[in-house]
Amino acid sequence: MNRSQRITLYILVLIASAAWIVLSADGSASDAIADTPAPQVGFAAPDFTLETSSGETVTLSELQGNAVLVNHWATWCPPCRAEMPAMQKLYDEYKDQGFVILAVNSTVQDNPMDIPPFLEEYGLTFPILLDQTGEVARAYQIRSLPSSYFINRLGIITEVVIGGPMSEALLRTRIEEALK
Amino acid sequence: MLELFQNIFAPPRHMILLVIAAWLGLTLAEKRAERFNVSKDDLNNVTFYGLLAFIVGGRLSFALQNLVAFTKSPLGVFSINPDLFDATGGIFVAILVAMIYGQRKQLPFWSTLDALTPFFAVMVIGLGLSHLAAGTSFGYATDLPWGIDLWNAPRHPTQIYETLASLLIFGLLWSLKLNPRSGVHFLSFAALTALSQIIILTFRADTPIVLDGYRQMQILAWVVLAVSFFLIERRLNPEAK
Repeated sequence: MNRSQRITLYILVLIASAAWIVLSADGSASDAIADTPAPQVGFAAPDFTLETSSGETVTLSELQGNAVLVNHWATWCPPCRAEMPAMQKLYDEYKDQGFVILAVNSTVQDNPMDIPPFLEEYGLTFPILLDQTGEVARAYQIRSLPSSYFINRLGIITEVVIGGPMSEALLRTRIEEALK
Repeated sequence: MLELFQNIFAPPRHMILLVIAAWLGLTLAEKRAERFNVSKDDLNNVTFYGLLAFIVGGRLSFALQNLVAFTKSPLGVFSINPDLFDATGGIFVAILVAMIYGQRKQLPFWSTLDALTPFFAVMVIGLGLSHLAAGTSFGYATDLPWGIDLWNAPRHPTQIYETLASLLIFGLLWSLKLNPRSGVHFLSFAALTALSQIIILTFRADTPIVLDGYRQMQILAWVVLAVSFFLIERRLNPEAK
């Protein structure tokens, strides 16, 4: 292929790809996923209603307007235990700005008797929800613990952190993003 | 099959795929390094320093962008959590360190990039597979028979498109006769990858949108394509203005 043939090819490819970009432009893309509930960044957070360890009922969608951290955990999970003090610290710091933590205990694979001493040991004051049937774990497609979902004031997932422990700095950056 | 793959490499294990890709890519690059007049040692060293700079640079860049959070808990810089990371900053620092290393060791710039092309090509394959495992870089909902169930809908398997395209590019570059002009091998890889991304990004539902509907990453890929073409021509005709 000589030089002029090559340049013609470059120009044709560049024009064709520019035309492709223009013709395939679609402004409704992000709106479409924000309306669909799924446990991934950009989607609406799947809704759920669970009982807390103190017998109250909490529904995620009723918290819209707040930034929410949905943290899936179990008492036997070492990284879950390790991230609890930082979560409690930042909950105290940010709760007045509209930040809520829903710590969903995977009760279906935990011993419910271990939960009260766990809460006492770590001095946890945010709501501890009991997922006794595993329904919420299935809705969030949980494959490992801990798994954390940061949800903004509109109910959209802004960040997913799988595994842990989350450091204080990580929590702080994600909370501030969700509070925006 | 897909479910088994996603279970085995569910996050954070999906990063194992990137480690495997880095190892395999470097092994393949080493095999052909001498064809480009670059020694295996130099290739290993530039990759090692580049990867190290990527990791350290990515963390530092993230910390600098979130200075208030790290001022309140400075030990967070040493956290093992991979989410405290800015990939763009990491790539920038890696390029910088690799260039400084290359200059100090007087490595030929374009030939080193040519020698590293199998490494880059296999990393792109690994990236596609890690996206598939994590369910990220997902596509639009579709009724097409090859749609995969992901995030509560059958979707374009954009991660599979990405992996297949990068496998094809790798196969093509691995089997084609090398151009005697240095840099053309690497620039062909860059142009082909950019072109494949322009097409694949059309089916991706998670890309940032600018200017009322245009995909930011498609525009970036188009610029990479144009620059690659320009540089290929410059490498083939160094005298041409």
